[in-house]
Amino acid sequence: MAINLKPVDVAVVGLGAAGGVAVLPLARAGLKVAGIEAGTWMDPAKDFKPDEIHNNVRSLVTTVPKAKKEIPTFRTSPDAKARQAAAHPMMNAVGGTSIHYHAQSWRLKPWDFKTRSETVKRYGANMLPKGSTLEDWPVSYDELEPYYDIVEHEVGVSGKAGNIQGQLDPAGNVYEGPRQREYPMPALRTCDFLDLMHKAALSLGWKPFHAPAAINSQPYRGRAACAYHGYCDRGGCHVRAKNSTCFTTIPEAQKTKNLTVFDGAQVTRIVADNNGKVTGVLYIRDGKEYFQPAKVVLVSSYTYENTRLLLLSKSKAYPNGLANNHGQVGKHYFGHWDAQAGVGVTALFPMDVNTWYGAMLSQGVVVDEWADDTFDHSGLGFIGGASLCTFMEKHPIAGASVPTFGRAPAWGSKWKQFIHENAGRFTGAYLQTNSFPYENTYLDLDPEVKDPLGDPVCRVTSGPKENETRAAVYAQNKMEEWFRAAGAIEVIKGQPFGPALSTHTYGGTRMGDDPNTNVVDRWGFSYEAPNLGMLGGSVFGTSGARNPTLTMQALAWRTGEHLAKNWKTIAG
Amino acid sequence: MSEQRQGEISRRTVIASAAIVPIAALTAVSQTPPPSALSDAQLRLLAAFVDRLIPKDELGPSASESGVPEYINRSLGDYLAGEKTIFIEGLQATDAFAHRSQDRAFIDLSPDKQDAVLTSMESGSAEGFPNARAFFNRARRLTLEGMFGDPYYGGNKNFAGWDLIKYPGPRLATSADDQKMGVDIKPYRHSAYGSGETHGH
Repeated sequence: MAINLKPVDVAVVGLGAAGGVAVLPLARAGLKVAGIEAGTWMDPAKDFKPDEIHNNVRSLVTTVPKAKKEIPTFRTSPDAKARQAAAHPMMNAVGGTSIHYHAQSWRLKPWDFKTRSETVKRYGANMLPKGSTLEDWPVSYDELEPYYDIVEHEVGVSGKAGNIQGQLDPAGNVYEGPRQREYPMPALRTCDFLDLMHKAALSLGWKPFHAPAAINSQPYRGRAACAYHGYCDRGGCHVRAKNSTCFTTIPEAQKTKNLTVFDGAQVTRIVADNNGKVTGVLYIRDGKEYFQPAKVVLVSSYTYENTRLLLLSKSKAYPNGLANNHGQVGKHYFGHWDAQAGVGVTALFPMDVNTWYGAMLSQGVVVDEWADDTFDHSGLGFIGGASLCTFMEKHPIAGASVPTFGRAPAWGSKWKQFIHENAGRFTGAYLQTNSFPYENTYLDLDPEVKDPLGDPVCRVTSGPKENETRAAVYAQNKMEEWFRAAGAIEVIKGQPFGPALSTHTYGGTRMGDDPNTNVVDRWGFSYEAPNLGMLGGSVFGTSGARNPTLTMQALAWRTGEHLAKNWKTIAG
Repeated sequence: MSEQRQGEISRRTVIASAAIVPIAALTAVSQTPPPSALSDAQLRLLAAFVDRLIPKDELGPSASESGVPEYINRSLGDYLAGEKTIFIEGLQATDAFAHRSQDRAFIDLSPDKQDAVLTSMESGSAEGFPNARAFFNRARRLTLEGMFGDPYYGGNKNFAGWDLIKYPGPRLATSADDQKMGVDIKPYRHSAYGSGETHGH
């Protein structure tokens, strides 16, 4: 029998990038919050190491192997048999994957929220990607702007504004939507290689700028500035300069005494009564099962687990899974077309570029001319594009794995000579392509593969798409142009094939104004279970051409604030 | 409590023992190296194999002189234990293929003939050795990990791998000068675990 716990106002499932932010406005409003997290706390001094084998090769920056034991299966078409992927991209700890993420912290563009209507208006309905289920978001950039502003300051983001209330500044991103004020910290420091890329972009007539990042460029609210040691990628920050929620919003919420963190607690079901309201969550902790009653449940366990938890939580009111009486849970799924989806570009320079150290994408120079609807797409056969980013950080095993560009064999003395000369002379670029949901891209439960608890894992169906392939190839050519302008002597472009499992996946519980095609309303609450809210990338309707976390956090804050302001209506 | 939930809970109680195991328990650092995953003969074959990938030459020591077989052996004894059987089968198949194609055990072949064996494996043309390419690629990948990973894991002895590619070494903080181009960054020859010594893992 499950042990019944004292009821709380709000149970938040998963204290990662999104849930870890939502707890703060709730706790400050005086609501009693249970933060239920499968992972445990990490200790920066002990757990975070400049060790490529630990961080990257073995993915050991995590506290419990929950994600590793429920790796989704994947297939590229609904007719194919799905196979379990080799690894899960996410980690489990208080703070979640905001511990080892790259921390580039972007606002989406106004266009990202209105892609469908803007495309029809500018190019006609024929330009909409074939088979896509694209809708405008129910939220506009202007509505989200105040929340972007709040989380940029509460979490801590370094950057240079390009558009403050319509005043453009070419030191920042002039293509961004208007913001009310400057970032709380300046961008991370520049260096010779980034200066080289910056200058090359200017020579092409482009408008390069330094990436915005949830990493402190200077001491901020009692936390240290970045040490640029070069183990940011899949590593936690040993000086707490990366603003993972376990160092920022979660401790801040704990100060109110209204947040109780239940760590090491794996939520298995969300429970609903016969009237369709949720009553709490079941979780397992230290081998015992508990029932945490709650007036409201917010689910923030990443895209795959958000969908899986709802589909697993069947009841009389929801025979096909919680909040799924319209059959929309798991639909409108999509992944970002980025380096993991074959959209990589690698360049070799005739001199050492010394990119060993740094802060990954967060110490980067970005070009945004070829993303979103910044340029005229007439006759191009696609909408969207990609942001182009060059960055600082390269680990030694990855450095020795430099492609030989046809200039040497892959082993032996000649190869040794090649890497001796060139491991320090190559670098990659990070391209993120505007990506969209389709009729045949979705999540459901795998019919065969189960986790150790006997529950089916999530099954991902997501194949290659013409629109995104064309956009990616177009952007790769621009990236090659940029590298060549900076003096690269060899450039290799990947073959875009589409995303598999990724840290940038979206949909499954999409947010929209139409309850027949969306799971949650404009505030993030279920159309069916009125006291159930969803947080994270699973509510996104488009990806933007940039990292999702800041938008997840702005939405999470907004959902939390809305709940606190409308407590009686929502909690009932 | 609804009937629905009671049924749910009793099923759960049965499987509750499968609950969370801290990852620290799975990857605990042992004080002594794990028992050898490979036999002495297998280690000799592995050393000969990886020394063709990274030979001793004027640029520095070979893979085996740098502890690559030790890295692989330790990994197969703990973190990669699930891969041990298939890796040993790959080594045995390599030797069998050497016998078939060159009439000798792999370790008794001249470097040129060893290269011929590996080239056939790499290209997938090794007759009667269907997984040759996959095994070659895996062995090559583990060789890179051993040669260029932290010495803590048994490879990269004397920082030979980092010296070869001029990686200046992991450190806890870097200055703006450490990110300059066109200057030689002074190598910091330390493991992330504090010294150049290797530890049991």
